[in-house]
Amino acid sequence: MSIPGLGHIAPAPPPGSAAAAAALVETTTVKLQPFWEYRFEVPASTTLTIRLVNGTAEKDGTELAPNTPYVFTRMKSKINTWQTCELEITSPNPDGYHAYTSMPNNPDGTSLVSYLNLSFKLEAARAQVQRSIAAAGENNISAAGMGPRILVCGPAYSGKTSLVRMLTAWATRRGNQPMVVNTDPTHGMLALPGTLSAAVFATIMDITTEWGGTPSSGPTAIPVKLPLSYLYGLRSPEENPKLYRVLISRLAAATTSRLAEDPDVRRSGMVIDTGDLSADSTTGHDALAHVVSEFSVNIVVVLGSDRITADLTRRFAGQKTTLGEDIAVVGLDRSSGAVERDSAFMQSVTEAIIKEYFFGDVRRNLSPHTQQVPFDAVTIWKVVEDPTNASSDEDFYDPAASESSLEKVEPSLAMASCILAVVYAGVHDDPDTIRDANIMGYVWVAGVDEAKRKLKLTAPVPTRLGDRPMVFGNYPEPVIGLTG
Amino acid sequence: MASYQESEHFAEDFREALEDLQVNNRYDIQNLTMIARENTEHALAIAQTLQNHIKRVASHKKLPSLYVLDSIIKNVGTPYTLFFGKRLFETYMDAYASVDMATRRKMDEMLKTWKEPIPGSIDTRPVFPPDVTRPIENALIKARTSAMAAQQQHYRNEQQLLGRGRPMPQQPPVPYRNTPTPPNVRPSSQASGYPGNHSNGAGPFGPPAQAAGQYPQHQNISMPARSTPQPSANTPAFQPPYPGGYGMPQPGISVDALNNDIQQLIAASRAEFARNPHDPSIQTRLKALLDLQSILQTQNLPQDQLVLIKNRIAELAVTIRATPAQTPTPVPIAPAVAVAPPPSAPPAAPKVSLDSLLGPGALAALLARSSATPQVSTPQPPPATMAIRSPPPQRVDLPKPAAPAPSDALSLMDMLRKAGMIPPPPTGPASGSTPAPNHMPSMPSLPFPLPRPAVTGPPTVENMTLDISFTPSSLKQFRPHLIPLLLNSLGTQCTQCGRRFKNDAEGKTKKTAHMDWHFKVNQRIAEADKAGQNRGWLVDEQDWLGTRETIDVIGGVPTAQSNATQGGSVAKAPKMQYIPVPDDPVLLNSVCPICQEKFKQVYLDEEWVWEDALCVGDRIYHASCHREATGGSSSVAAVKYSGGSRGTPEPVLGKRKAEVSSPISTYIFFV
Repeated sequence: MSIPGLGHIAPAPPPGSAAAAAALVETTTVKLQPFWEYRFEVPASTTLTIRLVNGTAEKDGTELAPNTPYVFTRMKSKINTWQTCELEITSPNPDGYHAYTSMPNNPDGTSLVSYLNLSFKLEAARAQVQRSIAAAGENNISAAGMGPRILVCGPAYSGKTSLVRMLTAWATRRGNQPMVVNTDPTHGMLALPGTLSAAVFATIMDITTEWGGTPSSGPTAIPVKLPLSYLYGLRSPEENPKLYRVLISRLAAATTSRLAEDPDVRRSGMVIDTGDLSADSTTGHDALAHVVSEFSVNIVVVLGSDRITADLTRRFAGQKTTLGEDIAVVGLDRSSGAVERDSAFMQSVTEAIIKEYFFGDVRRNLSPHTQQVPFDAVTIWKVVEDPTNASSDEDFYDPAASESSLEKVEPSLAMASCILAVVYAGVHDDPDTIRDANIMGYVWVAGVDEAKRKLKLTAPVPTRLGDRPMVFGNYPEPVIGLTG
Repeated sequence: MASYQESEHFAEDFREALEDLQVNNRYDIQNLTMIARENTEHALAIAQTLQNHIKRVASHKKLPSLYVLDSIIKNVGTPYTLFFGKRLFETYMDAYASVDMATRRKMDEMLKTWKEPIPGSIDTRPVFPPDVTRPIENALIKARTSAMAAQQQHYRNEQQLLGRGRPMPQQPPVPYRNTPTPPNVRPSSQASGYPGNHSNGAGPFGPPAQAAGQYPQHQNISMPARSTPQPSANTPAFQPPYPGGYGMPQPGISVDALNNDIQQLIAASRAEFARNPHDPSIQTRLKALLDLQSILQTQNLPQDQLVLIKNRIAELAVTIRATPAQTPTPVPIAPAVAVAPPPSAPPAAPKVSLDSLLGPGALAALLARSSATPQVSTPQPPPATMAIRSPPPQRVDLPKPAAPAPSDALSLMDMLRKAGMIPPPPTGPASGSTPAPNHMPSMPSLPFPLPRPAVTGPPTVENMTLDISFTPSSLKQFRPHLIPLLLNSLGTQCTQCGRRFKNDAEGKTKKTAHMDWHFKVNQRIAEADKAGQNRGWLVDEQDWLGTRETIDVIGGVPTAQSNATQGGSVAKAPKMQYIPVPDDPVLLNSVCPICQEKFKQVYLDEEWVWEDALCVGDRIYHASCHREATGGSSSVAAVKYSGGSRGTPEPVLGKRKAEVSSPISTYIFFV
């Protein structure tokens, strides 16, 4: 199979012209022994095509299809194998990427092995729940147990998201449908950055992107996942802990409801990704504890920090989830291949994701729709930072703290190039309703004409804007030249 | 639901308690039953722990553990019946394969009680439902049949080998038939099989050792057979020689001691034969033992052969005793030979066959060794079969005449399977050591396939991960047996996306659907590329909650714009549906069964049709009514009925109901 969309651009060379193709691009073959990893870093400027020639290999838990080229760009990741495999690596720019093979001698102690064991422990719990669901009957699944809710946390660059992806992919491969929750506003999952989201993963993931795409009008070769997302609009939970908590509670309520109704998801449980956790951040720990309690997390995995492990073990000792389970805290090594992704790289990734949202990627061209909208026809709210209340404790009822996290703003030049989220609420709803509404999609402010009082908005769907309120915050940052 | 950790801790405690259960002790079993009764919230963990324990422990400890299972089932019942029942086949057959014949009888008796109601209970249902016990029975019958056939085959082969010069069996079956069952044995194993029923506290496990609970290692000390080794029927046990010294040939093996051992084996075999006169394997073995005895008495065998014989005897004995490591140290006057009483063996025929006991291959190998043994007078040529043969071991203290013969092949399978777990006896004849005790004679390869645990299937992921705990050290340990669960055991890969599909019928069906999906999607991608696409809106929370993930279904993921009227959208809601006006006058007057209204007739494409109509079976519905009633599941059928030849009907036919087709359309934004 050719990669969809690529087929028209670069038809596969007929047999016999391999030599001609080799002249254009450099092809290398990498053979991996069990537990070896092929680690690569591809900048945005070039691509790396990996083809599994024989054996079995996987990326973040998702198996590569045999003899299928996977094109990677703007990615730092790895391909590993449990058995052996032979990979064919092709790049138009051999000097443009970095790659090496990690060759552990002994499987014991490699981080992948511990992740795999962890995954199988979750599988066992799922099998157990499956039986209790079968015993309780499909119509009464809330009486049955619930699959494991596992949260992955740790300091920056410890491989949290990779582990979440692995646990998700392994569960999916064995026929489970885990609810994947992203509580890290810095990165989006099936959503733009600044968004908290959740989605059920029932099918294979698109390994050439972080999480795959969201639904579009056309078909996709890899099934899209349908996220439920809420706009936080800020980079870190510390910037508005109150709003963060409210949205986490919203997300938890929705996902828990889904788990109460959908037996496949209930059995599979949740896999929760979190933002970077600093050992010294009290706010960060509090926010994490809120996530743990709201999602009834019963397994907390800490990557790469003994200190955080100890802190959390102490914190959750004796605590029970809403289902009466103990909260297990286990510290594991950071993902051995995790690399630092500097802010410039992340900025480039963020921009690429936003661009992909509107325009698609090389495999799928999307056509967004740009329209002029009068200032008066739109309702725009802005997320405010809340530094003053950073330390206020939400566990106590405080009638004075009812001030909303949103403020209504007039369109202005300051909004240019911003990303606005369109949410499922009415334009006349009160700020809290708008804050609690889930995201329908995003529009990009292509231009602001203050003289004519008109906004130029690029929307993914050619529909009238203005029936729904739009919300934005400081994050993601304005994207200059999206169309350029 | 109890938390993992709690259950895990509990299971750990329970496992430790099980470890302490060395013998069939009623009080211990009652205690464990009580624990299980009082902790049904951990029933699953207990059931798993116990079944794993049964699987793991040495064969002589399996029966007590099985009795714990039996006791829990009979005294507590649900939910344990459910949990044990799932893996009962596996647990039972696994244990059955690895225990000696005596224990098998006990297990047979226990199985029998499982098919009956609990004695004294008002519940008339059997302990386990028939669909749990029947597969076990079937497997046992199959195993026995195969074993018997193999035995008979072997017997015939042997007759041929021995030829005319060979004496007829000196002990025809008839004389033994009336041998009484030892009276001191019979009460110790009632049909119930449940140890708690024994008022004297003597368990059915092992020989009728009254002191089993206290002196498990010395059960045989009080055996009458030791002092009076005449071939009476009630010589259930004999002293197995000390197993430690078998590894290498030793000087000074006492022929007398060997004779004595053989004598006891003969006695045991006779007693068993009396109860199973139709079992040719026992007959064969008994004859072989008698032959061996006469060899020893009439010929002067070299030491290395004596070692071979002694080891063989010891193997048999050790297997029967099932307490190899605990066998008392031999008396000093005969080093490495345990039993010293003088033999009082009956005379036997002079021409004998070692092969019948040791296997032809063993003897051949022996003969081939540097120390030639010309004085062996066994005349038959070394058979070509390389098989390591030995008669199955026997037990004496089994009172149930109906108890079937054991399946030696099961034992063999088990030995192979357990290789590494339970130290298997050395099997190379050339090394002078002895074959596996339960080996099927004359069967170089597996005599019949071990019945697969058809009920339970492969080991579940739960069982395979029981040893993993949420600790870094446990998680870091590599478990190679888990890898296939993500790869090969999931089937073969889809060549397009890498997803795996099992190779069974269900997997093939799924794969077909999956490949269809790929095909259609690829087709549509090509179409969509021409038409242009755009990102969709996400659905709102309510719709998201109602969404169920669809696998390999086109248009499975809803978008909030799927009803939007725009070009290029291939994920549209079902098209306008209609059917030709029926010719049948009865049908012509039909109404929609859901709304009881008539259908609206319109002229379309040079034909009168009923718009918004859908034919399901022989009834005609309003398509929109039907969609509402069935939750949209009929959309596939609807597309079919809309007729490809007719082309797309105009969507402006004043559709009566279609605009309320889906809640999603609430969020349509018109340009």
